[in-house]
Amino acid sequence: MGRKPDAGDLWNGASLMDIEPLRRLDATGLPLLLARIIVGFTFLYYGAEKIGDPVPFLKSLKGYEVLPLHPSWIINSLAVILPWIEVLCAAALLSGIQLRSAALLTTAMLALFTPMVLKLGLSLVGTEVGFDGLCDVVADCGCGSGKIPICPKLATNCGLLLLSLWILLSRSTRFRGGLGG
Amino acid sequence: MSSADSPDSDSPSASSAADSPSGPFRAGSRSPNAALLSGAVTILLVAVLVALASNSVRSSHAIDLGRDYFPKRPEVSTSNGSGDSDPTPVVTATDTGDQIPPHPDDGIQRLSFDDARDNFNSAEEEFEATGESIYVFVDARSRELYEESHIPGAAWLYHYESEELIEDLRPELEMAFFVIVYCNGGDCDDSIHLATDLSSLYGIPTENIYVYEGGLNQWVENQMPVTSGTERR
Repeated sequence: MGRKPDAGDLWNGASLMDIEPLRRLDATGLPLLLARIIVGFTFLYYGAEKIGDPVPFLKSLKGYEVLPLHPSWIINSLAVILPWIEVLCAAALLSGIQLRSAALLTTAMLALFTPMVLKLGLSLVGTEVGFDGLCDVVADCGCGSGKIPICPKLATNCGLLLLSLWILLSRSTRFRGGLGG
Repeated sequence: MSSADSPDSDSPSASSAADSPSGPFRAGSRSPNAALLSGAVTILLVAVLVALASNSVRSSHAIDLGRDYFPKRPEVSTSNGSGDSDPTPVVTATDTGDQIPPHPDDGIQRLSFDDARDNFNSAEEEFEATGESIYVFVDARSRELYEESHIPGAAWLYHYESEELIEDLRPELEMAFFVIVYCNGGDCDDSIHLATDLSSLYGIPTENIYVYEGGLNQWVENQMPVTSGTERR
């Protein structure tokens, strides 16, 4: 505690990594490595699935009802581009190139989409037989896995968000390059 | 690869600028946060380029960026009672039908299950007798789902690839008096969008187009026959 703020701090100020136990844990590099592998492969899967067939993702984007349907190129372009952002972020996380920039993007995407998944889940409560509460809702959130229970999805997203933040804020010099190093 | 692109260049610990006499944002060097943001922008730009390029060359599952995949017909007012001519009157199925729940006045005619079943039976009888029919069922779902199971006799016209598929079906659809579009039912509205496109984009007479909203799920629930594979029957 009380360290001078590092030049690399995202906000040029006190960081989560100034907390002594977290700093020690971070110094081992293992959390960073684990976070990179988990977030990297998850985003690779999400992105590749959507690139394979972007139509379900396009329909999911429409289902969120936050994007204008007209002009149509806006929602169509997002359906084409977002999966590639996920794949490139995954490649960056796994390769170590532009590591923190990729973590910034995955953090931003998760911070944006997780509330949208929550909103979608809440909007479906009571709309079908058996959808009595949020954790009873099963829906296609456009995550590349078809219809899935919303609660585990939210928990997964929160976990991924924390891991992305760890990559973003980590000061570890170990496991920062290619996965071998 | 520029210094900003090197694996460690955007790492917080990679810079010792904080300890330098001029502080973390000394003149002539990029701040770590600027490197972080420029890296993110680089990833975004590369993603845009790769996405647009790959979408333009792929032979299947490409998204037509300019196409309206979720068309809506303008709402039709039927409540003024002034007797004005209405180009797309709302038809609540045939007189053989059961009660149909209210729908927005979008000019799309809906069929109940009873209507769809009666039309299917008529189509099958006609087809057996003459080899053709004035009823055409149209499956708006993906090829995989169509091949898994579809209403016997239904033509495959995936809504999201309809521009490529429509020409082969056009003669049949133009001859039919009842073009009955369906998808899975439930929250699937691809049948509505395809019906709208059939009328507004492909020139099929609106009065001949119907949507069976219960879709294949309701069809199967009622123990009606289905067939699988690429063959229609």
